[in-house]
Amino acid sequence: MSEMVLRPEFNLPKGTSEVLGKDGKTYLQFNSSMATLYQQTYGEHSRFFLALRDAKLIGSKCTQCGQVMVSAATWNCPFCNFAEMKEVVLPHKGILAQTAPITIFPSQSFIGQAPFCRGYVDIATQEKVASFLPSRLRTTTGIPRPGVFVKGIELKLVFKDKREGSILDIFWVPMKEIPKKLRNKAPLFESELNFENPKLPKLKINKNLKPVYVKLLQSLNEMSLKVLKSPRAQKDLAGKKYRIGVKTGGGDFTFIIEKNKMKVEPKVAKKTDFVIVANNPKTFNDWINDGSLTDAVIEGKLWLPSREAFIFLPMLDRLPRSIRRDGV
Amino acid sequence: MRRVGLVGAGITDCRSRWVEATYWNLFQQATKATLEDAKVTTDEVDSVVYGIYNDIFEHQAIPESSLTGIIGMAHKPGVRVTSGGATGFYAMRAAIMEVASGYSDLVLCIGGEKATDCFDPVSKTQTPMVIDTIAKSWDPFFEYPLGATASDSYMQVCMAYNDNYPNDITDPEIRATIIEMLCRQGNRNPYGQRRDEKVTKQQVLESRWIIAPFLRLLEVCMYTEGAGGLLFASEEKAKEISKRTGSPIIWIKGVGAANESYNPGRGGLYKPLHRIESDRIAAERAYKMAGVTPKDIQLVELHDAFIAQFMVTMGELGFVPIGKTRDLVEKHIMADIRELGENEHPKKGQILINPSGGLIFGGHFVGGSNMFSTWSLRREMINRSIRYGLVHGTGAINAVFGGAVVFELE
Repeated sequence: MSEMVLRPEFNLPKGTSEVLGKDGKTYLQFNSSMATLYQQTYGEHSRFFLALRDAKLIGSKCTQCGQVMVSAATWNCPFCNFAEMKEVVLPHKGILAQTAPITIFPSQSFIGQAPFCRGYVDIATQEKVASFLPSRLRTTTGIPRPGVFVKGIELKLVFKDKREGSILDIFWVPMKEIPKKLRNKAPLFESELNFENPKLPKLKINKNLKPVYVKLLQSLNEMSLKVLKSPRAQKDLAGKKYRIGVKTGGGDFTFIIEKNKMKVEPKVAKKTDFVIVANNPKTFNDWINDGSLTDAVIEGKLWLPSREAFIFLPMLDRLPRSIRRDGV
Repeated sequence: MRRVGLVGAGITDCRSRWVEATYWNLFQQATKATLEDAKVTTDEVDSVVYGIYNDIFEHQAIPESSLTGIIGMAHKPGVRVTSGGATGFYAMRAAIMEVASGYSDLVLCIGGEKATDCFDPVSKTQTPMVIDTIAKSWDPFFEYPLGATASDSYMQVCMAYNDNYPNDITDPEIRATIIEMLCRQGNRNPYGQRRDEKVTKQQVLESRWIIAPFLRLLEVCMYTEGAGGLLFASEEKAKEISKRTGSPIIWIKGVGAANESYNPGRGGLYKPLHRIESDRIAAERAYKMAGVTPKDIQLVELHDAFIAQFMVTMGELGFVPIGKTRDLVEKHIMADIRELGENEHPKKGQILINPSGGLIFGGHFVGGSNMFSTWSLRREMINRSIRYGLVHGTGAINAVFGGAVVFELE
């Protein structure tokens, strides 16, 4: 079955339920929805989306003032009393207009896609007046993190191999991540770039971090023993089987999670599900002391290769809290 | 144009969820409180303006239709205003214009929202569904499919501001200090949603990130269910009501509004991402109409959706220089409620900002949040004898809707 507009799990059983008020009285609530299905026309935007489907990027240029709208949101210039605007073919490179936010906690419809980055791209850079294109931004160097999508970086337009006529048919990648031979290729397709196996970032090995690493291993081993005594922690790990390599500036280790237990090996195992990187091993010490690895990712202290690695973090973040709540 | 006075105000308790009441009852509660405050009956009200942000939260396409009879406004003209986060401000503007034009002598401006009846069956919580509903404020062609949210959008503006004016909103200590001050103020608000909470600077700094580097969990406004009402009157009617109640009239001195282009860009009338021009232009218009400057104003109820935006907006409103909004804390421009107590006037050069606790601690029932702000402003103007006060509203993608009202104590 093809992908549906509404997901099957996105539903509620018909009926009512009781809910307790602040006044201690019982109230009724009823399950319902206000979902409307659409076959919404792209209307005047169709030209833009048809072009995307054909792996082209177009804008509309005013025949009077010369300003360019990207996307072609209208074909009549709002600055020139609706003078005619003509189609212009746009380059497949642009500049990130401003530093872009990274979405970690998306709305219901986008759960599963996070973390993702969206920003505004300045494409008609030769023109004095131009609008920016809102777009998804992607990196080939792991999940998006602070410092990657900053104001003024050059971006390359990339098309999805399979396009339907949607703003998600395209995304932008930092030009410096594009192999030189592909930088002038237009159109460039997603399959021509490697998003699956990002290179590990260069680690800053620091002798001063060795004692921090040694203390971390000790704390992790203590934590492993505490997990054995914490029902909540064991519940967190139930049914999970992972081997996660961790590289830090003080030394490496592997988290092994299986059979509701956690184990640590003081090196990166040969076979891992993925490898994560933090310059400072203290990032993990902070986590053990009720910190958050998710926060470390958001702050850019912890590098992750993929969304799959990110999805794994909430489970790890729960562990110290579970141990504390069980009084272990 | 006729003089317009604010003669009554009333709000409901601000709650994260009102299972005890539908929006019908919340609007009725607020109407009752407002009319009782002004000692007027429903018969005396000429017309009503409703501020309701969106239909999905209310679960009805014309929610105001079912309110009309319930709030005693049958057979009177009624118009609904909806302008994103700035709905409350724009509803007030419409009500003020109705009196100023001579169409009506006494107008009820009532705004409110249900929000957390929305429910996400996947996470079994309300928040992702509430965020998704708000995200429907973005267009379905270009922005919504990208996964835009209100937080991302306002943070885009704050990050752009930081690109152009570095080392201003970046200091987490400054932002956390403001939060701590707002919390103390919110503790004084008998209707405030978080009136019993004590949030420290340290708790702010340790709360989890929503979007780095400007938004931690404790730096964001709430979702609130509630309603708030205001009564705007012509000069003659206002004086008559004031005699009845013994409360001074708060005159509307200036109203300014500006909406920027939906599309960000370079030059022309495109939205510059690094500024909130809507706030700046709206405030300049309000000051011009009122014949005042920011120096004359010592009380502000600001639409603080996010604390970094709070700082930028204070810059745009002209109270601190753009790029140096941290002066609010570093130069003690933001008055400390501990020094002012319940009745003291702010010292020269100081501004009392969001004595209600703002949208972060007081409440944020979107369609009526600015009425909530005005209710607080009136209370503080009267109690502290503050001559001029300002209410601010903002909303829509990248903060492109802005509004400001300057009030003067009789």
